[in-house]
Amino acid sequence: MASPKEDCSSITLAFMDLAIQQAKLALDSLEVPVGCVIVEDGEVIASGRNRTNETRNATRHAEMEAIDTVLEKWQKKGLSKSETAENFSKCSLFVTCEPCIMCASALSILGIKEVFYGCANDKFGGCGSILSFHSSNSNPVTSGGLPQGKDFKCSGGIMASEAISLFRSFYEQGNPNAPKPHRPLILPETQ
Amino acid sequence: MDAWQIVYVPDKPPIPPDQQSTVDVIATVIEPRLANTLVRRLNQIVPLENLRHVKRLRWRMAYLAGKTLLCLILCLASEHGDQFDSIPHEVQELISPHKLSTFVTKVCKYAATSKEEWEEQCKLWPTSFHPPTYSIDGITGFSEEDSRSVFSFMNSAIQLAKSGGGSVVNAAVIVDPSAKIVIATARDQIYSWHAPKDEAILETSCSERPFASHIDSNGVMSCETPGGFPDDSKQLYDDVSCLYPWRWAEQKTDMSSCCWHPLRHAAIVAIESSASRDRRLYPSSGDIQDKLVDMNSAHSSSTGSPAKRQKTNLTDVKSDWKLETCCEGSHSLAARPYLCTGYDIFLVWEPCAMCAMALVHQRIRRIFFAFPNPNAGAVGSVYRLQGEKSLNHHYAVFRVLVPAQVLDGAETCHGQPTSTVVDNYGI
Ligand SMILES: [Zn+2]
Ligand SMILES: [Zn+2]
Repeated sequence: MASPKEDCSSITLAFMDLAIQQAKLALDSLEVPVGCVIVEDGEVIASGRNRTNETRNATRHAEMEAIDTVLEKWQKKGLSKSETAENFSKCSLFVTCEPCIMCASALSILGIKEVFYGCANDKFGGCGSILSFHSSNSNPVTSGGLPQGKDFKCSGGIMASEAISLFRSFYEQGNPNAPKPHRPLILPETQ
Repeated sequence: MDAWQIVYVPDKPPIPPDQQSTVDVIATVIEPRLANTLVRRLNQIVPLENLRHVKRLRWRMAYLAGKTLLCLILCLASEHGDQFDSIPHEVQELISPHKLSTFVTKVCKYAATSKEEWEEQCKLWPTSFHPPTYSIDGITGFSEEDSRSVFSFMNSAIQLAKSGGGSVVNAAVIVDPSAKIVIATARDQIYSWHAPKDEAILETSCSERPFASHIDSNGVMSCETPGGFPDDSKQLYDDVSCLYPWRWAEQKTDMSSCCWHPLRHAAIVAIESSASRDRRLYPSSGDIQDKLVDMNSAHSSSTGSPAKRQKTNLTDVKSDWKLETCCEGSHSLAARPYLCTGYDIFLVWEPCAMCAMALVHQRIRRIFFAFPNPNAGAVGSVYRLQGEKSLNHHYAVFRVLVPAQVLDGAETCHGQPTSTVVDNYGI
């Protein structure tokens, strides 16, 4: 899963930097700072950031926001389901934190090509930390050999320190009036 | 199967009692009068650290001698080599004065997770068993009234799954069990994205007598629904989102719908609907959220920690706010939920990993499902998220066994559970 940092080309870093910008927008809106961009043919086609507080819907992670934008865009263009699937298989996701089990599973359902992430998600991660939706080899075997999710390539550790420092500022700015916050500097629970 | 029944789905897969892992230990037969001294000393020098469930002593019938013997575990046996060399020096010092002869025996490696497992373990060597001590209702059984309510909500989810007029899909009903009101309902919206249902109906139906008396119209309606479960029980139900999450791209014959979304599984849609209800009923988050954060200090790192919010005059603000916006009857300030804390969800099929994790995020308290999902189920079939220790929230999961005739559309309205179905929230 996590591939060494030297693999990062400057273009990878540039896309991850855009994801970090999205995470900063989330931070400014008092949301857990996670952001992402979806890239097709070297071009950003959607971006997203966490909106769980604003929507009171804890599933509105950055990835889900960006996916909805993409689907809406393609539906407006009149793409069929199979064309949509084909397009997803050419898309890469750059996200500041390892996708959670929900998002990783969603990405596998959609059949995305590749995921690049910043820091690992030790509590919820669906790309190796807790479960592995990017590689069906590690999925439990199910009866009947029914089709499992599609695999996607996955590389972690890209600009991880930037992503972590955003989390840190989130928890530090958190609730200045709260006495002795029960808030260790760990990954956010909503991702 | 003719009866409705609720079965707890534990957070660990049950191990067939006869297939439990064991470890070898070195034991000996002792005089009962030595028991106290030896056990105390052994617990000091060689505590059974990872075998706390294993009892150190057991009585055993000695068939030939016709009397009972007291057996004592001295220490773990080494995995290879000479067992008796592996006995720690201190233990040897303890046993040699009594001229104890040792033997190797097996004990169960892990504590029992069920009474059945425990009974089986004790045949090998006695262990102790502590049933799960969750505080979630139902794990140790449901009252008559609670069972009726569970069956009733499940039945309404099943009717909802069949109500599309076309194929059967997955359906979700989110319920506040303390007030027995329906918070949100949803069907899969993968292939066609229906106009949002009339949520006003949902709201108004919540309040009173949720189990009373709409039965005639409701029952008839479900019977007339053309899309009942077909008689053929081998039906694949291949439009059920969570059963076949990867099939969304296969072109359906129905090309008419312009809106579709591969991820709009019933549970996801229901969560969205409950979130929008929350925003509608409690439009101003502000200070309320601060209060919630404080109240849920254990969860505080996840609640979004609204920062930079003034805490001045909080009390006054709150009471004003209550007067102005809480005029919708029973929805008092104190009732403002944090996400779906305390709520239950009824799903016809066991949720896939995406949906199951979404329900963790949204803090659902209990999941009830009727049919398992061998392809992709994530609360027992393929994954078991309720047992993933690293997650920040754990719901309890129950399977509701439904009578065979509930699958059979024609029988549905006669096959009701003991009481009634539902109020008229739009199915
Ligand atoms: Zn996520
Ligand atoms: Zn699902």
